[in-house]
Amino acid sequence: MRNQYSLLNKIVIYSFLLIGVIISIGPFYWMFIGATHPSGEIFNIPPQLLPGDYLVENFISLQESLGMLKIIWNSLFIALTFTVLSTLISAAAGYAFAKFQFKGRDKIFFMLLLTIMIPYQVTLIPLFELMVSLEWLNTYSAVILPNLAFPFGIYLMRQNMKSIPDSLIEAARIDGAGEFRIFFTIVLATMRPALAAVAIFLFMFQWNNFIWPLVILNSSEMFTLPVALSSLIGMARVDYGQLMLGATLSTLPIMIFFLILQKQFISGILGGSVKE
Amino acid sequence: MKKVKHLPFIIGILSCLILASCSSGKNGSNNVEGKTAGEITIWGWDVAADTLELATEKFNERYPDIKVKVENFNSDDVYEKLTVGLAARGSGLPDVLLMEDERIPSYTNQFPKGFVNLSKLGYDKYEERFSPSKVKSVKNDKGEFIAAPWDVGPAGVFYRVDYFEEAGVDPDSIKTWEDYIEAGKKIKKITGTKLLPIDISKYDGVFHMMLQQQGVSYFNEKGEAAITSDEAIRAMSVIRDLYKNDLVANIDGWDGIVTATVNGKVASVPYGVWYTGTIKDQAPDQKGKWDVFYLPKFKEGGTRYANVGGSSLLIPSSTNNKEAAYSFVEFFTTDVETQMLGFKKYGLFPSLLKTYDDPFFNEESDYFNNSKIFQMFAESVPEVPPITITKDFARASRTVSNAQAAVLLEGESVERELDQAEEKLENEIK
Repeated sequence: MRNQYSLLNKIVIYSFLLIGVIISIGPFYWMFIGATHPSGEIFNIPPQLLPGDYLVENFISLQESLGMLKIIWNSLFIALTFTVLSTLISAAAGYAFAKFQFKGRDKIFFMLLLTIMIPYQVTLIPLFELMVSLEWLNTYSAVILPNLAFPFGIYLMRQNMKSIPDSLIEAARIDGAGEFRIFFTIVLATMRPALAAVAIFLFMFQWNNFIWPLVILNSSEMFTLPVALSSLIGMARVDYGQLMLGATLSTLPIMIFFLILQKQFISGILGGSVKE
Repeated sequence: MKKVKHLPFIIGILSCLILASCSSGKNGSNNVEGKTAGEITIWGWDVAADTLELATEKFNERYPDIKVKVENFNSDDVYEKLTVGLAARGSGLPDVLLMEDERIPSYTNQFPKGFVNLSKLGYDKYEERFSPSKVKSVKNDKGEFIAAPWDVGPAGVFYRVDYFEEAGVDPDSIKTWEDYIEAGKKIKKITGTKLLPIDISKYDGVFHMMLQQQGVSYFNEKGEAAITSDEAIRAMSVIRDLYKNDLVANIDGWDGIVTATVNGKVASVPYGVWYTGTIKDQAPDQKGKWDVFYLPKFKEGGTRYANVGGSSLLIPSSTNNKEAAYSFVEFFTTDVETQMLGFKKYGLFPSLLKTYDDPFFNEESDYFNNSKIFQMFAESVPEVPPITITKDFARASRTVSNAQAAVLLEGESVERELDQAEEKLENEIK
């Protein structure tokens, strides 16, 4: 009896989970299917559920209409450069906020947190004018630099850095290690999961970033993926096959990135929530 | 206590913000003495951008020293970039810009010095070459050209020939909106198909077409809200009757209209001429099954003609090559061959009246049941009644959509809802 009951239980649980899986995978599957069909077929009833053979054609027309390869390069270059630099800055700043005593530390940190609450619309135009006066319109720098000191990244690193025992750092100092050596060889090494979490977060932020690149980039050969994809949506005509393929290409890296680093990501997000 | 401790910092941040937003700089009036050489950039979208690109070839035959660069964005993105650029006193803006006609008043109102006055550069001499309704939509309230007219969207009712035949309805017999409703009932009974798609709570396009065919819009000449006119009540009553007879497919947004069209969920779609391209692209297998008739009339009066959409070219004042930009705009909007290029290849219906003499307009379209649909649309363009569109058009459009939803979905009375909508709109635009 008991076994049967738990079997029934299992069936219920699994079917719920299955429904959940279908709901969350469904749109991705649909997007992928759409990417392999010509535009008109997407509205067919009954809907196409199997992959078509139009993938290559869609890619070729994407390459023709957007210069897709250059776009992917732009996106990768901007997102990766940003991720590396910004993770490093987040770690360094977080370390300073967590482990150094200096005047006004908490106040500065508080102000940093406040900046999270400023809506982007407020800073958009002043920042834009700043870029104009630096003559940085339509450059990679203008996309990468303004967000480098990313408050949430710094915050997350600070919370994690707090868990490093002071005695460890002091021991290193006594052994004669310089501050930079302590930071790079000891602190960063112990902070790997948190670094991974921050890196994923920053990568996703920059990879999906839309409004700022849109405003600051003016020529199509500089566009990032979200900006380029947006230009595919016409007034009266949309090539849904191309659009779906573009969307697939822009979600794939994040999915891969996340799947590889998900263990670190989850432990990193939780890290700092429990203090010993 | 804690709050007080942080107060100086909050004040500090706030004052930074205020300073940043009020920072005054010199006005971007670094206009170089114009020259018809150099490079100009154009922002556009979609097939319009492709047309602009195509046009550069012939343009360069006449102006070999002007290099033209066209950038293709999504239309909403163009507006986003334009707003930021204008707010930053013209920084980073292109030399020529595409804009939908209904947006022009709100931009020229918000940024009165943002765009070059084309009348001052001599565009007035072309006025006679365009239809009165298009000319009105690109002029400011002083009667000066702010934009150069490009495409228009004369309206018609696209219908499924096979459904109409099956139900024994002769499209030529549909003269008034009452006839249209009667035809719809018949079609519904025999084929089970609804008559037309409307996104009831978001789309006021059908209502607006009905107003324009009677020569009015949401505003009177003074720019005040005017949606309680007899014309408006008539129009909303027709939409209510369509809905009451279960002839309206309530769909969601643009994709909903396309899906309903392609899947045969509706027997007709009242829309602008550019919808021909959409139907052809998304339903290539329905060749011969579609045709068009003019909007039905109101028996009380008015025409059978209206306009949906259309766009024009503007020159932002920040351009440092006004002459070259104007040369392009002048050439592009008044050259018959160039205008035909965009029409033949991409279906962008020109407003330049001379183009309608082109034999292409006389051709029968095999997709559209071998009818001369383009000739039909072309003939209607000069007849479309000019209407007043103001800066508050988008707001009016939303308010009217809400009223439409209340009338249809909640069964409220037409007069009461329009009254309330007008009052609400008046308060909002004061």
